[in-house]
Amino acid sequence: MALTLTRRKFLQTASLAAASIPLSKVTAGAQPGVVKKSYPAPGSFTGTESKPSVCEMCFWRCQIVGKVRDGRLVKLEGNPKSVDNGKSICARGNAGVQLLYDPDRLKYPLKNIGERGKPVWKRISWEEALDECATRLKAAQKNHGPHSLAIFPHGASAKYPMQFFEMTGTENVSEASFFQCRGIRDMGYVSTFGFAPGENVDMAHAKAMLLIGTHIGENIHVSHVKSYLKGLANGAKLIVVDPRFSAAASKADIWVKIKPGTDTAFMMAIMNYLVVNNKYDKAFVEGSCEGFDAFREGIAHATLEWAAKICDLAVAQIKEVAELLAANAPNVSIHPGRHVSWHGNDFQRMRAHACLTAILGAYAVPGGLIKPSSGIKLGKVGWPKGEHDEEFSLTGSHKFKPPGMPTENIKKAMLEGKPYPIKACVCWGQNPIQTIPGQQATIQALKKMDFVMVVDVMPTDITMYADILLPEGSYLERYDYIKNGLAGWQPGSDTAVGYIAPRMPVVEPMFERRDQVWITNQLAIRMGYGDKIPVQSLPEMMDQMLAPAGLSIAKMQAMGGIHTQPAKAPYAPAGIKEHAFKTDSGKIELYSEVLSDAGFPAVPTFLPVEEVPEGFARLVYGRSPVHTFNRSQNNRWLHHEIPENPLWINEECGKKMGLKTGDRVHCENQDGIRSRTDTVVMLTPGIRRDTVYMAHGYGTMNTAMTVAKDQGVDDTSLISKVVVDPETGAHGMRNNFVRLIKNGKTLNIPS
Amino acid sequence: MTTTSAISLAEVYRFLAHAMQYPERSWFGEDFLSLFCTFLDELGWDADRAALAFPKQLSSKDIELLQVDYTRLFINSVPHVLAPPYGSFYLAGGGILYGASAEKTRNFYREHGFDLALASDIPDSLTNELQFLSFLRELGEENVELEFTRTHFRPWFCKFSTIVQREANTPYYKAVVKMIDFFTMEDE
Ligand code: SF4
Repeated sequence: MALTLTRRKFLQTASLAAASIPLSKVTAGAQPGVVKKSYPAPGSFTGTESKPSVCEMCFWRCQIVGKVRDGRLVKLEGNPKSVDNGKSICARGNAGVQLLYDPDRLKYPLKNIGERGKPVWKRISWEEALDECATRLKAAQKNHGPHSLAIFPHGASAKYPMQFFEMTGTENVSEASFFQCRGIRDMGYVSTFGFAPGENVDMAHAKAMLLIGTHIGENIHVSHVKSYLKGLANGAKLIVVDPRFSAAASKADIWVKIKPGTDTAFMMAIMNYLVVNNKYDKAFVEGSCEGFDAFREGIAHATLEWAAKICDLAVAQIKEVAELLAANAPNVSIHPGRHVSWHGNDFQRMRAHACLTAILGAYAVPGGLIKPSSGIKLGKVGWPKGEHDEEFSLTGSHKFKPPGMPTENIKKAMLEGKPYPIKACVCWGQNPIQTIPGQQATIQALKKMDFVMVVDVMPTDITMYADILLPEGSYLERYDYIKNGLAGWQPGSDTAVGYIAPRMPVVEPMFERRDQVWITNQLAIRMGYGDKIPVQSLPEMMDQMLAPAGLSIAKMQAMGGIHTQPAKAPYAPAGIKEHAFKTDSGKIELYSEVLSDAGFPAVPTFLPVEEVPEGFARLVYGRSPVHTFNRSQNNRWLHHEIPENPLWINEECGKKMGLKTGDRVHCENQDGIRSRTDTVVMLTPGIRRDTVYMAHGYGTMNTAMTVAKDQGVDDTSLISKVVVDPETGAHGMRNNFVRLIKNGKTLNIPS
Repeated sequence: MTTTSAISLAEVYRFLAHAMQYPERSWFGEDFLSLFCTFLDELGWDADRAALAFPKQLSSKDIELLQVDYTRLFINSVPHVLAPPYGSFYLAGGGILYGASAEKTRNFYREHGFDLALASDIPDSLTNELQFLSFLRELGEENVELEFTRTHFRPWFCKFSTIVQREANTPYYKAVVKMIDFFTMEDE
C-alpha cells in the first residue's frame, strides 16, 4: 500500500477500526484556535489602530504609539501628543516590534531538568511552576532564615515582586541600576544636595555644559539628547572630559583627554581655582551652602599643576575649563552622568560634581541643576514593609549605600555562606552574568544555590542558570510604569507643562506570558502571604495610582495616553540665592560632617586608582546607540546596524603592534582571562594610548539568543578584578586591563 | 480532491492539529496512541511505527521525553529553539513570529468567514492552519483549501518539516510531521 498510496486512496480505503477509539472522539474536546466568524464586509475594517504606551527599550520611557493592524503591531512611533520626546523615538524604540515577535523569546514556564549552566528545558504549567517556586523559596527561608534569599531585579516590572520579597524578610536585593550604574551618583548628590539628581540639568538653556565621561549621542535618550542639541544650537560652549573622542567630544569646544580614574582631581583643581580666584558664586555659597571654609581648606592642595600631573593634562587646559565655567556661571550644566560605577573611588567624584555645581551657583537657574516636577500626585501601591533584623544587614562599612545591599556582600554570602548563607536566588529582568563584575564568581555563586528562579522576557545568560524560568510579558504587552514629568519651560517664564503617561499594552500577551502582579500574587498565595496582597491585578494597580490625579486607565486611553496640565517652571525667582535642602544642615553640604563622622572624606577627595600594568591598556566601556539592555541584544534590526562592538585602540599603538582596522582580536585581561569571542579592531587617534574602549553588552554566551550569541566581546567577562566604592558598596568596573590576542599570538600594548 | 471518503479529511486535519499540541497525560495516552499507530499501520509506515516503541503503559519518563523534545524543537532551548511552528518564521523577511505573512494568513481566514478565537494568538501557527483546513474541508470549499495549502501552508511547512525530520530526538515528532506532509500534499 505504501509506495503508491496517495491521500485520496488512503481516505477511500483505510480503516481505523483497529483503533480503540473513533477518530472524532480523540479530538472532541480540543478548542480550535481558528473559529467561524462573520465575514467583515470590505471597507468596514477599521484599519490601523494607534495604541498609546511608554517605551522600555531603555529606561528613558519615551511616550509612544503602537500602530496595530488586525491585532499585529506593525510600527512604533513617538506619541504625537507627547510634550517630552514628541514624535521622535530612537532606533531602539522603533525596533521594539522585533522584540515583541522575537522567536527566541520565552513563551511558557520552563523547568530545567538538566543542570545549571547546561539546561535541558521542559515546558510545564504555571500551576506546577509556581508550586515549585513557592515550595523551594519557602524551604530556603525556613531552613536558613528569611534573609537567605537574594533578589536581582531590573526594570519597571521588577518593583512589585522586589517589594514582595522584601516583605518576606530579605533585604538582600541588588539592583544593577544602583550597584553597577547610577547608585553612586544618587548617593553622592543626596549627601550634598539632599536629592538624587537624575539627569536633570537644563542643557537646553545652558551657556556652557561640562560632560565628564557622559557620551550623549552614543547613549541616546530622546528628550535628553534634544535638550543637549538645543543647548548647542543656542550657542552653549561644550566641554567634554573623556579619554576617548566620543560623539560628544566631536562637538566640543574643549576636549579634555583625561587619564582615566583622575576626574576627581580635575574637578578639585577647578574648584580650588575658582575659590582662590574669587570666581565662585559667593552669594549662592553664603545663602545655600554649608561648610565652605572647611571645604576650601580641604581642597587647597589641589592646584592646577597638581591636577595636571595626576590627570596627564596641560595646566592651561584645566585653567581654560575653569575660566569658561566661571564666565558662564550660573548657567552651566555640570552633568551628573548616569553610569558612574567606574573606579571604586566614584562617590568622591560625584561629590565633586555636586560641589562644583554648587559653587558655580548652578542650581534652579536656566542651564543649571533643576528639580522638575509635574505637580501631579500619583497614588502609591505596594506590599507592606517587611521586618528586617539589623543583625542580618549586609551593609557592612558602606554606610552611604543606595537602596538594597552591596552586590559583593550578597555574592560573598552566596559563595561562602558568610556572614550567613544565602541559599536561593530570584532574578527578575536582570542578567547578573553581564551586569555584575567577577563573572566566574557570579556563576559559582549561582551554582551553589538550592534554588534559582528567573523571570525574563528573553533567554539571557542568566536564564541558563535557572531551575524554573518564567516568561514575562514585554513592555508592549503589559501595564506598569507611569511616566510623570515636566516639559516646555523657558527662561523668563514661570510656567511649564506637567504630564503623565502610563505604560499600557499595545497588544495582548502571546503564549503564556504573564505580568508581574499576577506572577507575584500567585507566588504570595502559595508562600502564605495571600492576605497581604495589595492589588488583584495590574490594571487595578494602575487605576489606584492614577486616582489621586482624578484619572484612570479608561480616561488615559480616551485622551490618547497622555495627560497634561499647567505646572511651574523649575527655576527659582531671578536673583534668589538662598535655598533649603533636605540634608542634615538644611544646606548644600560642601563639607559633610555626616561623612566625616562615618570615617569618610568630608570634602571631595581624590583617591588614586591602580596604574595600567606594562603591556596592557585600561578597558573602558560605554553605550552603543542601538543597544541598551539584554532586551535589545537579540534584536534583528538593531543587530543589523551594529552587530558587534569594535575595540578602539590608539592608532600609533595599534600600528606598533602590527594591527590595522578590521583585524580580529581576542582580549586577555590581567588575570589571564580571555574573551570567549573575538571582535574587530578600530584604530583611531581618538583614544589615549593607555586606554581601549568597547561598547557594553555584546557577546552573550547563551546560544538561545540566536541573533546575539557570540557577537562581539562580552566586556563583563573581562572584568574579573572587583573593586568596591567604599562609601556606597557599588562596584568600580574600569580597573581591569587587557592586551590582545591575534591569530593565537599575544600582543602587548606599548606604553 | 474528493468529499466521498471513508475517512473524513477534515477529521484527519483536526487529528493532526491535535497531535501537535504540547504532550500531556490528559490526552497523550492509550486511546490517542492506538489511533496514531493505526494511522501508521494503514499508511504502511512500518519503520515509523516500529521506531515509536511506546510501552503499553506510558510512564512519566516517556511523556517527559516527548515534552523535552517538544520544548527544544518548538518553544525554547539551549542551544536554541529549532523549529518554531509558525509560518512567518520561515517565509520572506522572516525569522520573526507574527510577521507580514501571518497577517496575510489572518486576512485569508477572514475573507473566508473565519478568525482567531483569541486576539493574542498567532494566525499562522501549524495547529491553526490545520484547523482552518479542516473547516474548509467540512464546508466543501476544496478550491479554497487547495489555494490555502499551496500559497500559505506548504511554502513554510516544507521548510519546517525538513528541520523537524533532521532534529527531532523522538520518532513521534518525525512521524507526525511526515503525516502532516502526506495529508497536505496535493493529490495527483
Ligand atoms: S530613548 Fe529610545 S529606547 Fe529609550 S525610551 Fe526613548 S525611544 Fe525608547
